[in-house]
Amino acid sequence: MTMWTRHVSGTLAAYVDGALTPRAAQQIEFHLGQCTRCRADYEHVRSGMAMVEDLPSIEAPDAVWAAIEAKLRDRRPTRVPALRSWRLVFAATVLVALVGAATWRLAHPPGTRWEVRRLEGSPAAGARSISGVGRVGIGEWIETNSGSRAIVTIGEIGSVEIASNTRVRVLATRSDEHRLALARGEIRATISAPPRLFFVDTASGTAVDLGCEYSLNTDEDGVGLLRVTKGWVAFQWNGLESLVPAGASCPTRPRMGPGLPYFDDATEAMKQALARFGLEKGENSALNVILAESRVRDTLTLWHLLSRVDVGDRARVFDRIASLTPVPVGVSRENVLTLDANTLTRWREELAWTW
Amino acid sequence: VVDLSDREINAEIIESCRLGDREAFRALYDVYKDRVYSIALYFFHGDHAVASDLTQQVFLKLMTSIGQFRGDAAFPTWLYRLVVNACLDVARRRTADALIAAASPRAAFAGQDSQEEAYARAQRANSVRAAISTLPRKFRIAVLLRYFDDLSYEEMAKALDCSMGTVASRLSRGHKMLAERLKNVNGPKG
Repeated sequence: MTMWTRHVSGTLAAYVDGALTPRAAQQIEFHLGQCTRCRADYEHVRSGMAMVEDLPSIEAPDAVWAAIEAKLRDRRPTRVPALRSWRLVFAATVLVALVGAATWRLAHPPGTRWEVRRLEGSPAAGARSISGVGRVGIGEWIETNSGSRAIVTIGEIGSVEIASNTRVRVLATRSDEHRLALARGEIRATISAPPRLFFVDTASGTAVDLGCEYSLNTDEDGVGLLRVTKGWVAFQWNGLESLVPAGASCPTRPRMGPGLPYFDDATEAMKQALARFGLEKGENSALNVILAESRVRDTLTLWHLLSRVDVGDRARVFDRIASLTPVPVGVSRENVLTLDANTLTRWREELAWTW
Repeated sequence: VVDLSDREINAEIIESCRLGDREAFRALYDVYKDRVYSIALYFFHGDHAVASDLTQQVFLKLMTSIGQFRGDAAFPTWLYRLVVNACLDVARRRTADALIAAASPRAAFAGQDSQEEAYARAQRANSVRAAISTLPRKFRIAVLLRYFDDLSYEEMAKALDCSMGTVASRLSRGHKMLAERLKNVNGPKG
């Protein structure tokens, strides 16, 4: 067998990519003219390459950089001293440790106070009216009236704008837990940090930041709305959780926790049905509308619905999702209907590509 | 933050990173973050948590070992070597990966036919992702590397730690497998 007749399957990708020398490419062309098997392989390789071209590039979440920065900050003090004498090394190490500890304490004192800046009117921070910049610590309130707004810096991870007619209390200012309580009104949070470092409590549950930007409003009873503009937020209450991606909203209701999240561009009929769902008897009519109005990306709502309906309706929800987007390998109808946690997570991860 | 293209990542930026310049490192990160994240995400079948961890791990490793980069290879080659090693290491530790690979991809694609273009688009993307996740790891990483950066076969060979002939062979076999597994999936319209 000469090189002119040897099968060329293993070099076809390089041939398609133009990575061969002109002479090698010529030899392959000649062979393809003679060999049906390699010609079929050539079509397959080209077709496979074309399929991959459909894959979109996915943007890395901001939380990745925030996590890298946090790790780099932790590593910064670990420099190897160039001193030879072990005594000097020991003394230097002690000194570095003392200075490091002092610096850390200065930067992160227990009960750190956060900066509050006036945006409009005369907001109050810690019961004092602020005309420029003030500070608040744990247990203190920030309050705005109809003519005032403020912005509070959340440690080193972001900021929260306090809208008019809002009452917010600082609950925790640690580097591993930044927590506010929103008694009433509206806030807009912009956070760039690893997930689960920033929390906002309301009367109907807790918004858990997963690296994002969002607004949250509530009345004193806990009736409100979470709207996410970037990243993800989890809203939790009593073991119930709604995951809300960018472009979606989630209503909050007292003693019922998070409602069903939905995309803001869902149909009006669907939004009205969602508002009725869970609040009235004879929910079938609302469910019928939700199922009928759902598009592929509304599987966000349908996936959450699975665990909030009885098993009969769950089967209908499963079938609707399956009619909108293929059920992936590893997700069975049976496991979904019994609410197997791993199966639901696996399905959510797959569906999230369309959210 | 400096806005640079990958072609503008030069010796000066690398040297600044070596000296611990945070802004230079951020510039480097901004140029490559989406490519690294996308490769990891598709390699691990859409698992955002693993892709985030892996991206973080790669850039931290890059920052701490950039002193070892001698400039005798192109910077992207060196970076993707880190990505390839991280993907293969994490995959070895993940049993879920083996489960996905063992499953028949046909089960995911069979009997799904619809007139709706939205459905068809979702089906296609889903099918391609699923098919990629069933490729043997060394084929999978080669296919993703070729797609997400404009590397030469020589650079891919260095990143994958194999010969150029092996790169060509893995890409040929990997894409052929994809086509076979996706033969029931229609290509994009128009």
